[in-house]
Amino acid sequence: MTRSIAQLVEAVVAARDDIAAIRSAAQLISIVEDAPERLPELIQAISRLAEASRPRHARLLLGVTGAPGSGKSTLVDAMVAECRTRFPERRVGVVAVDPSSPFTGGAVLGDRVRMMRHATDPKVFVRSMASRGHLGGLTLGVRGAIHVLGLLGCDVVFIETVGVGQSEVEIAGVADLVLLVLAPGQGDSVQLLKAGLMEIGDVFVVNKADKPEAAKVHAEVLAALELDKQVHAGEVDPLSAESGDGSQAGDALAFERGRCGRVEPRACLVSAQDKKGVVELVDAVEEIAAGVAGPSHEESGLAGRARDGFGRPAGRTSSGHRTVQAVACASG
Amino acid sequence: MPARVPKPRILIGKPGLDGHDRGAKYVAHVLRDAGYEVVYTGIRRSPEQIVDAAVQEDVAAIGLSLLSGAHNVLFKRIIDLLKERGAGDVLVFGGGTIPPDDLPGLEKLGVAAVFTPGTSAKTIIETIDRLLAGRAKP
Repeated sequence: MTRSIAQLVEAVVAARDDIAAIRSAAQLISIVEDAPERLPELIQAISRLAEASRPRHARLLLGVTGAPGSGKSTLVDAMVAECRTRFPERRVGVVAVDPSSPFTGGAVLGDRVRMMRHATDPKVFVRSMASRGHLGGLTLGVRGAIHVLGLLGCDVVFIETVGVGQSEVEIAGVADLVLLVLAPGQGDSVQLLKAGLMEIGDVFVVNKADKPEAAKVHAEVLAALELDKQVHAGEVDPLSAESGDGSQAGDALAFERGRCGRVEPRACLVSAQDKKGVVELVDAVEEIAAGVAGPSHEESGLAGRARDGFGRPAGRTSSGHRTVQAVACASG
Repeated sequence: MPARVPKPRILIGKPGLDGHDRGAKYVAHVLRDAGYEVVYTGIRRSPEQIVDAAVQEDVAAIGLSLLSGAHNVLFKRIIDLLKERGAGDVLVFGGGTIPPDDLPGLEKLGVAAVFTPGTSAKTIIETIDRLLAGRAKP
């Protein structure tokens, strides 16, 4: 039986905690995944719902990105568990993207392997998606999936990117906050200086704290964030130093920040596998989220902005000064 | 680049307690190379975990790898759970060390195909292609 988008939307809201709602939501995601151009149809169907049954948008869209094998899925698994413990009544959604073959179009979607303990939890909905030729770290179906998860009543939605390299930064335009997962063995502090991926992190999660090199990486991240802060505070500004006082070029450089991060970045040392530092990480995210996704976030705040769409240039912070905060989670 | 809509999605699962995942990974790889999107769920899963994951992932088929000898019980449980969750239309196939004598029983349960050791990749793909051919997504 093939149901229309409108029928599926009705079916999801009819009984949000029922297995039938979950199945309808899953089918709805498939429709907008296979035909992303039908997204407006979905949004329209949602807006046509009676006021009372219309869903709130997901409270927080958390992007999780990082290189392959840095522990994104394991981290999401641990954070989902922590969220469920803290807010037993809330539903959590996960969208995890893995790459499609550029040769056959096929894919092995393996993120879910790390999250299977949540499979039977009716308050956790995990959806794997293939990139389907889309570059940037996500896939075209992600936007639709986020809408459907909101419809299903998910308060928090984790969006896990494919394992990324240095320049896949699309997640910054979709998520409210970006968790950039780093692990030991991915190079020295010069890598942290590079443009692209390093500019989009709101929380730098140094994972695999059980490995001996992790503390060093954490220290290097802290130093890199401190340097970034100094550069943008104008304390270290090579241009203005060259051109003497009142250089407009220097001021402009200091203001036109490379970072698109919207909050003061933090660095957390975590072992997702050993569940160390996860509580502190979720604390940090909650604290930041309280600031960025307040009651009025729907239109003006980050969550509202995040829903403006793919390909939107990521917003830049205009404040010149930020504090680097260390959350040395696993050291205690 | 336009999004390319691939063939139907398939979940590969290993219910029960044996941890030999070579067969499951082999089939996942074969299906991947044939253009399917394969949701791989890892070893030692309960029937409930597999079925709930399949519902959330909206897969067209579930492939189960079993080398523990518990195939008669686990296939039945998974097919029953799918029906309970209104997902009885999801195709179930399997593979592993399954004695020939058990094949008619599994077929009766509704298992669409069983790939025993030695089955070629070509046979697997031809069979899955044929079974899923009539299930083009709307």
